[in-house]
Amino acid sequence: MIMNNDNFLQNLTKICGSRNISREPKDLEEYSKDLSFLKGKSPLCIVWPSKSQEVIKIVKLANDLKFHVIPVSLNSRFKQHGNSIPRKDKSIILNLSRMNKILSINRKNRVVMVEPGVTFEKLIPILKKEGLKLLLPVMPTASQSVLATALEREPITIPRYHWDSSDPLLCIEVVFGTGDLFRTGTAAGPGTIKQQQKMGQAQVNPMGPTQFSPFRIIQGAQGSLGVVTWATLKLELFPSIQKVYHLQSDNIQDLLDLQYELLKYRLCDELFILNDVNLACLLKEDQQEISQLVGNLERWNLIFIISGRGPLANDKISYLEGDIDDISAELGLNFSKSKVEITDKEIFHFLNEPCENPWRMRLKGAYQDMFFLTSFEKLPKFISLMETKFEKDLGIYIQPINQGTSYHIEFDLLYDPKDINEMKSIKEKNMGVRAQLMDFGAFFSKPYGLWAKDVFSHHSLEIIDALKKVKKIFDPNNVLNPGVLCFDD
Amino acid sequence: MLKEEILKEFQKIVGDENIDDGEVTTNTYAYNWCVEFVNYLANKDPIPFSSIPKAIILPSTTEEVQKIVQLCNKYDIQFKAQSTGLGPWNQPSTDNCVILDLRRMNKIVKIDVKNLYVVVEPYVSGAQIQVEVMKFGLNIHMPGAGPMASALASHTSMCGPGFTSPQTGHSARNVLGTEWVLPTGKILRLGSLGLKKESDWYSGDGPGPSLRGIMRGWVGTKSGLGVFTRVAMKLFPYPCNTKYIAKGHSPLYDFHLPDFIRAYLLDCRNFKHLEKSLLRIEEEEIAFICSHMSSFAVMAIFSYSLESLMDKIAIGSMKKPLVIVIAARTKREFDYKQKVMNLIMDELNLTNIIGSKYEPKSLFYAECLRANLGYHGFIATGGFQSAKGQCDTAALCLNTERKNIPLKQKYIEKGVIANDFGEGAWMTSYESGHYFHMEVPTLFDQTNAESVKGIAEYMEESNQMDLVKHLGTPFFIEGDELHDEWGPHLMNYHIWLRKIKETFDPNGISDPGFYISSKKGDV
Repeated sequence: MIMNNDNFLQNLTKICGSRNISREPKDLEEYSKDLSFLKGKSPLCIVWPSKSQEVIKIVKLANDLKFHVIPVSLNSRFKQHGNSIPRKDKSIILNLSRMNKILSINRKNRVVMVEPGVTFEKLIPILKKEGLKLLLPVMPTASQSVLATALEREPITIPRYHWDSSDPLLCIEVVFGTGDLFRTGTAAGPGTIKQQQKMGQAQVNPMGPTQFSPFRIIQGAQGSLGVVTWATLKLELFPSIQKVYHLQSDNIQDLLDLQYELLKYRLCDELFILNDVNLACLLKEDQQEISQLVGNLERWNLIFIISGRGPLANDKISYLEGDIDDISAELGLNFSKSKVEITDKEIFHFLNEPCENPWRMRLKGAYQDMFFLTSFEKLPKFISLMETKFEKDLGIYIQPINQGTSYHIEFDLLYDPKDINEMKSIKEKNMGVRAQLMDFGAFFSKPYGLWAKDVFSHHSLEIIDALKKVKKIFDPNNVLNPGVLCFDD
Repeated sequence: MLKEEILKEFQKIVGDENIDDGEVTTNTYAYNWCVEFVNYLANKDPIPFSSIPKAIILPSTTEEVQKIVQLCNKYDIQFKAQSTGLGPWNQPSTDNCVILDLRRMNKIVKIDVKNLYVVVEPYVSGAQIQVEVMKFGLNIHMPGAGPMASALASHTSMCGPGFTSPQTGHSARNVLGTEWVLPTGKILRLGSLGLKKESDWYSGDGPGPSLRGIMRGWVGTKSGLGVFTRVAMKLFPYPCNTKYIAKGHSPLYDFHLPDFIRAYLLDCRNFKHLEKSLLRIEEEEIAFICSHMSSFAVMAIFSYSLESLMDKIAIGSMKKPLVIVIAARTKREFDYKQKVMNLIMDELNLTNIIGSKYEPKSLFYAECLRANLGYHGFIATGGFQSAKGQCDTAALCLNTERKNIPLKQKYIEKGVIANDFGEGAWMTSYESGHYFHMEVPTLFDQTNAESVKGIAEYMEESNQMDLVKHLGTPFFIEGDELHDEWGPHLMNYHIWLRKIKETFDPNGISDPGFYISSKKGDV
């Protein structure tokens, strides 16, 4: 069927109702760009479905009329990576923000089921009331989608609970690019979700059904293989007592060695390293206060939390303190005391609460982030390289992931968006340094926007070929988010 | 046998001494454990022999595997890869198949202590890895099949629950970088291993979507989608000090207990209380082993012969047993964990039978640390297989167990499977109780045709019950017939699985017997 404005709009209206479609120029403009340097195209319209059946119909219509669908979780003005702006003509934005129900909270099995429009701001306090803890990335934005964050494999701050790189994502309901509905893991069946729950199931096993695990290919696909309409996420119990450790050093190796031991023996919960700039940005909101704090912090900061729960919470804290002291003594490490007082409350705030505006914007007003995975040994090498390229306003965040089997390292290039020259310089340096990082073995496991092409050129052709075959199976007409990853090259 | 010119081409790849298509060798490779009831289910004679492979080929490198696979494509011969080769899944499903016996690929490639993983080839057992990584205070996840099984097979191709799953998870979730010879002969290196420069093993996901999603699911493809030649798998902290001193003679070695290890055997009395106990203990994140078993199974794990099995009747009277093992690296940790156990036992009115009514032999602790409790399943009859294989919540697992009892009793009354009162079960927690696994070990006599038929029919009926009553998917749903039966009840997954097979194995060369074939009409 050939697409024309009439049948296209008529059909979409029939599916979602006219109130859930916008062709306002202001809206179209908003969705054609984000905070990355990527230039997008104007979408034909924005559609807000309210249930899975509508998503199915829209994706099927896109296959029939040959238009593209760009799934977006929220209206957030803080979209950063160019993965949800149209790259092709004849694209519509599928905005899932009105699918915003918390479908179930299961304390017994430590799991929550959410739709894509559920935000951190909404979910965190509700779970807290139930004594449950969401596994968070470092201080997410309040309006960020919890589900989309998990789909993007954003690292969580408690590496010992990161049992698999896919955590905390468990089962999903997804509409493939063909328009077929699918449920993954134990949610696939037999039986409907209600029938499964009646038998005691809670959709906590992400693997399968049977001999494949389709949730893994949907995760990290940037909406190019399927549209996820709900997901179950792993939760932990909220501790009753916590103790903060904030250790500072000019020598990152000392901190890396200590965090390795702590994680190897699973002694702490939250665990990560920040440089002075990033820690200050997390703690303070005001530019001047941030700059002042940077001056009073050591270059590197290891933050970790130990915790206990229930009647023996103090016993647990004592045992952990003792074991940690022994390890520190064995390593012969001494760390500086902070020149400024940073309270536990301040640290808990950024560990447990979302922020209104992205914390990475606080110092200069804008940022470009650059993150990849690497091994323990290579971390110092990458840091040296980046510090020679970016002498100031460089935030660094190091997060051990997957129980310490690799490290997410993130460089945040902070700049003033009103300063055209600075922005231009950041853009140029950004592209230049990425190639160098890749030559050094940086593994950009989540290739976004402008640098995706470069990332794939550093990978074997067999991987690209296999990914294209997968795309052909689940989205044969290239309906979903064309232009991302390696699918259009 | 192979045609002479084809045999010569294979010989060029691996050398004359590493291929045999003679009758003696090929017939021997046709035997395996549990093939008899697989045959029965496929309407064949219930004998323990599969189709006879055309030849046995022993490659020693990935490149040799690749060339063999390419040759198989050229001559339209299927292949079946095996490593330590336990069970019918290693057997060819047709007469047009060669076996790739990977026993010459037996190296531990790398132990990366700082990044907490190990890289191995197919013929490295869990026990071999454990011995090496213990030197660094580390441990490896081993499946219920035991420490003698190939770790690569478990992580890439088979199932994945193990006795230490509360602390070491599931095989499928412990996979990092992977080297995979596809059925077309192309070599796919997943994740960070696929980098052109400075490739490494620390991640198996991306760039972008993770191809681990087509590599395997809750269970693996069992050589139905290529050959895995090397894999990186996560390492875990060894739960206590690593001194491992065993003296004496098999089977009753005298094991010197490490400083901080303790077992608890609790009778939770009924299903409801058992679920509560499992969840409560696992929330505290203290257990190295947290397994529920039937009383008969508990008798078996403490026994080393049929005679010693029979003298544990006191244990056999337990209603709903739960076995917990705690272990610690320091005294502080051990004291804390014992305190937690005491608190929970008080709270839930549970008594530890160990230390009061029964004292296991020291060897039991060695077998816990070495994940070697599964072999006790063979003690009673010599023949053993598990039905079910559910994996989700404790409630689902226990519901399945409860509903299965009358069904199993029916077959016990027929006299075709051993009498465990219908209660035979093994259930473990994963990842400190985030999800649970259950299976139903069933004892039979593999030399008795009626018993073989009996267990096969029981397993079929058990699958049907799970399907109709929405009790989840058992782990042996494999092969065209079962996929076609179950697929329509599980989001038509069989259609997608078949598309994957067709796309990545267009010539149907990787034996689909325990996976899915691309030649059905759905695609």
